[in-house]
Amino acid sequence: MHLRGIIVGNKQKFVIGLTLVIAILCFPAVVYAHGAFIEYTSSVEIEIVATYDTGEPMSDAQVVVYAPDDPANPWLTGVCDEEGRFTFTPDSSKTGTWDVQVRKSGHGDTAHIPVGDGGGTTGETGGYTVLQIVLMSVCVIWGFIGTALYFSRRKA
Amino acid sequence: MHIPDGFLPASVCAAGYVATAAVAGYSIYKINKQEDPREDIPKAALMTAAFFVVSWIHIPVPPSSVHLILGGLMGAMLGYYAFPAILIGLFFQAVMFQHGGLTTLGVNAIVMGVPALLAYYVFRLKNVGNHSGPAKTGLFGFLAGFGSIAVSVVLVVVVLLTFVPAGLDLSMERTATISLIIAHVPLMFIEGAFTALVVVFLLRVQPRLLGVA
Repeated sequence: MHLRGIIVGNKQKFVIGLTLVIAILCFPAVVYAHGAFIEYTSSVEIEIVATYDTGEPMSDAQVVVYAPDDPANPWLTGVCDEEGRFTFTPDSSKTGTWDVQVRKSGHGDTAHIPVGDGGGTTGETGGYTVLQIVLMSVCVIWGFIGTALYFSRRKA
Repeated sequence: MHIPDGFLPASVCAAGYVATAAVAGYSIYKINKQEDPREDIPKAALMTAAFFVVSWIHIPVPPSSVHLILGGLMGAMLGYYAFPAILIGLFFQAVMFQHGGLTTLGVNAIVMGVPALLAYYVFRLKNVGNHSGPAKTGLFGFLAGFGSIAVSVVLVVVVLLTFVPAGLDLSMERTATISLIIAHVPLMFIEGAFTALVVVFLLRVQPRLLGVA
């Protein structure tokens, strides 16, 4: 439509020019690709580090990942590296708790990692401090000693 | 050698509990037949405490580390008390430290408790024959300690490799498990020697402690 306007004549240059401007303003995206869209999908990469409770890394331990919608069949399997590290990107459409099991010769643990809905970003399984362990041990041992004392009191 | 939660199918965990209940029931039945069932409870309680803490004392055996289990010593010293004692010790280890798990408690009790009872039967053989001096006591103490670890390792390996979950590379797990067995061979000797030392020491200073009926 505006191309035809250009051929019409010099006197009408201003009008044609105006038409062009209006046309450009009306169809900006069609005429020139100055507009831009960004589509995004955020994906979370999960990194786990598996260590024995002695602090030694579980090198080459096998990892089995279970998606929230199918806790019976593995979604992904893999192997930790030398430092006990393993990274994977869960399917972000499957929100819920992902179970990551690490196992090496019958030792291991299962981590329950929430994905989506603003779930936690870091976490650990077990993880007591040395002080807590000592305190808990002392309490339990005192229980055993108390039992021993109770049942030996008749002899005295 | 504690099997954690989630490593065994539910049916195996249930079977473990049934077996544990049976063995614990039999042990308690045997204890009740003794003249004074309460007499050895203090000893059993203190041995349970030792069993409970000893899993924190790691002995480095390259490339990994192992810890004493005391199954053989408990069998030798406690007789039928050993099984309930180990069951209670494992319960506290599972609850407090996540060593093992509550669902696998039954299986773990069988894996460690039954060898302890076998160790008791072995240790009792020292009374066969005329004299039971320190050398003989030490020898059977060694056999009790050594044997209990050996049987435990065999049991745990059979359980682990029989019930490998789908999705796990069986051959890789088998290789890792074989290295676990190798790591426990020195432990068999350490545990045997430790058990022998303790029973010989007790024979000298407090022989009454070894006189389990």
